[in-house]
Amino acid sequence: MAAIHLDGLVKQFGDVRALDGVDLSVRDGEIFGFLGPNGAGKSTTIDVLLDFVRPTSGTATVLDMDAQAESTAIRARTGVLPEGYHLYDRLTGRQHVEFVRESKDLDVDPVAALERVGVADAVDRRAGGYSTGMKQRLMLGMALVGDPDVLILDEPSSGLDPAGVRDVREVVRDEAGDGTTVFFSSHILSQVEAVCDRVGILRGGRVVAVDTVAGLRDAVGTDATLRVTVEGDPDRVEAGVDAVREVAGVTSVGRAGADVVVRVEDRGKIEALHALEDAGLAIRDFETQEASLEELFLAYAEGDG
Amino acid sequence: MSWRAVARKDFRDARRSRALWALSLLFVVLSVLVAVAFATVDLIGGADPSPTDLVTLLAGAVGTFVSLAAVVTCYRTLAGERESGSVKILMALPHSRGDAVLGKLVGRTAVLAVPVLGGLLAGVAVGSALLGAVAVGPTVALLAAALAFTLAYVSIVVGLSATTGTTTRAAALAVGFFVVIELFWDVFVLALVYAASGFTVPTGGLPDWTFLLNQVPPTSSFVTTVSLFVGESPSTAGAAPVYVTPWVGVVVLAAWIVLPALLGYARFSAADL
Repeated sequence: MAAIHLDGLVKQFGDVRALDGVDLSVRDGEIFGFLGPNGAGKSTTIDVLLDFVRPTSGTATVLDMDAQAESTAIRARTGVLPEGYHLYDRLTGRQHVEFVRESKDLDVDPVAALERVGVADAVDRRAGGYSTGMKQRLMLGMALVGDPDVLILDEPSSGLDPAGVRDVREVVRDEAGDGTTVFFSSHILSQVEAVCDRVGILRGGRVVAVDTVAGLRDAVGTDATLRVTVEGDPDRVEAGVDAVREVAGVTSVGRAGADVVVRVEDRGKIEALHALEDAGLAIRDFETQEASLEELFLAYAEGDG
Repeated sequence: MSWRAVARKDFRDARRSRALWALSLLFVVLSVLVAVAFATVDLIGGADPSPTDLVTLLAGAVGTFVSLAAVVTCYRTLAGERESGSVKILMALPHSRGDAVLGKLVGRTAVLAVPVLGGLLAGVAVGSALLGAVAVGPTVALLAAALAFTLAYVSIVVGLSATTGTTTRAAALAVGFFVVIELFWDVFVLALVYAASGFTVPTGGLPDWTFLLNQVPPTSSFVTTVSLFVGESPSTAGAAPVYVTPWVGVVVLAAWIVLPALLGYARFSAADL
C-alpha cells in the first residue's frame, strides 16, 4: 500500500510552474527523504498533500484518500511540521498542544507531549518568547500528538542546533519504529541519509530520482567522474559530447569550461575517451574522481549543465 | 464540529489583545457616564427621563463601540494568519475551511460579547439605580440585539479578512467599509434625494423610501431593531407605506450576519494558502 501517492501533479502559479508533473509513491511505514534545492517545489508538494494549495492538474492521495476531497480525514491522521509556519505568540506551549488535542479530539497530556521534544520546562510560557529552536521543538511536539499514521516534516532541522537535529532523527526513528510513515523534506542530503529508507530527489518541479540510500551508495561505488580537457573547434566538441552520451555506462555528460565532464561506470571510461577522439578531438589531459554521495545529490539537484 | 476547537483557540488568543482591553475599558466607562448624564442632566427637555429612553441611548453608544472594536480586533483574523504563517498550524489540523471561518466568527464574537454585555449591564445598573426604575423588557431586548449586532460586525470584518492574504488589504477593506457605510452613507442618501427631486432641495421632509436606504448601515439597522422593542415607531411624512417598519432593520441585521461570512467563506475556500 502507498501511504502517499502523487500522480502527474502540476501546479502553476501565474507564470511560474512550481510542480511540473510530479510522480511519487511513498510506501506504508517507510521513512522517505524528499530532497531538492530550495525552490524545487518541495513545500508546494507538501502544500498539495495538506490541501493548502490545489493542483492545476494531477492527483494526490494520502492513506488512499484524495488530498482534496478527503483532506480533513487525512489531516486527522497526519502530524505536520510545516515550513514557514508561525506560532500563536500570545498562547503558551500548553495552549498550543491543547489546540491540537481539541482539534483532533484526542486525550493527551501537554506536559508529556512537550517532554518528548525537550521543551516541557517552557510549557506555561508564551510561545512568542521562545527561541527559534524551541519553536521548532514545540511544533514537532504538536505534530507528534496522538501518534499520527503519517508524519510530514518540512525542513525539520532548520533553526535547530546539532543536538536538536539528532533529537529529530531519534524521534523520526521512534515513530517509524511503530509503523508511522515519515515524509521528510530537506535540502541537505546528510540530514536525511542517516534515517531514510528511500529518498526522492526533486528538481525544477519534477522527481528526477528515487532510490534507496543503499542504491545511491552503490551508484557512488561504481560511478566515477571523468574530467577530460579537450582541444578542437566547438562543433566537434558538441559532436564529441553527443557521441559520449551514447556510450554504454555513461550516466551524464556536461561541460565545464574547456573540459568535458562525464559521469560513467568503470567499464565505460576507456570507451568514453575513444568516443571523444573519434569525434576528432585532441585529448590534452584527463582525470577521474570517485563521486561522493553529496556530489551525486548535487548532480541530480542542479543538473549536469 | 471542529469549529468549536478553532473558536476556543481564537477566544484564548484574541482576549489577550491589549487594544481590545483598552477599548473595552473605554466602553464600560462611556456607558456608565452616559447613564449618569442621562439620569442627572435634563437631556430630553422637560420630560422625566425613563429607563426605556436610557436603553435607546445606550444602543447608540454600543453601536459606535462595536463597529470600531470589531474593525480593530478582527481585521487580522484570517488575513493575519495567512500573512504570518500561523494558518499552516490551523489548517494542518483537521479543520475544513468552513470550520476555520465559523470558528473565528464565533470566537471573536465571544471575545467582543464580554465587554459589550458588561458595559451595557454596568450602564443599565447605574442608570436604573439613579432613576429608581428598571425597564426589564427593553434591557433584555437591548442585550439580545447587541449580541446579534456584534455577531454581524464580526461577520463583516472577519468575512472581509477572509478574502485576502495580506493584513494591509484587510485593514483597508475594514476601514473602507466603516468609512463608506457608516460615516458617509447619510451623505450618499441625501445626494440621492437631491437627485430624485430634480437637483433641488426637497421640501417637507425626506421621502419615505429613504427609510429603507437608511437601514443599510449595520449600526442603523441595529438601532432600528432595538426601537422595535422599546415601543418607538419610525417617523414618516404622512401615512406610512407598509415597508416603513422596524422589521426592516431586523432583516438587514440578519443579512449582515449571514452574507459577509458567506462571502468570506467562499473566497477563503477557493484560496491557495
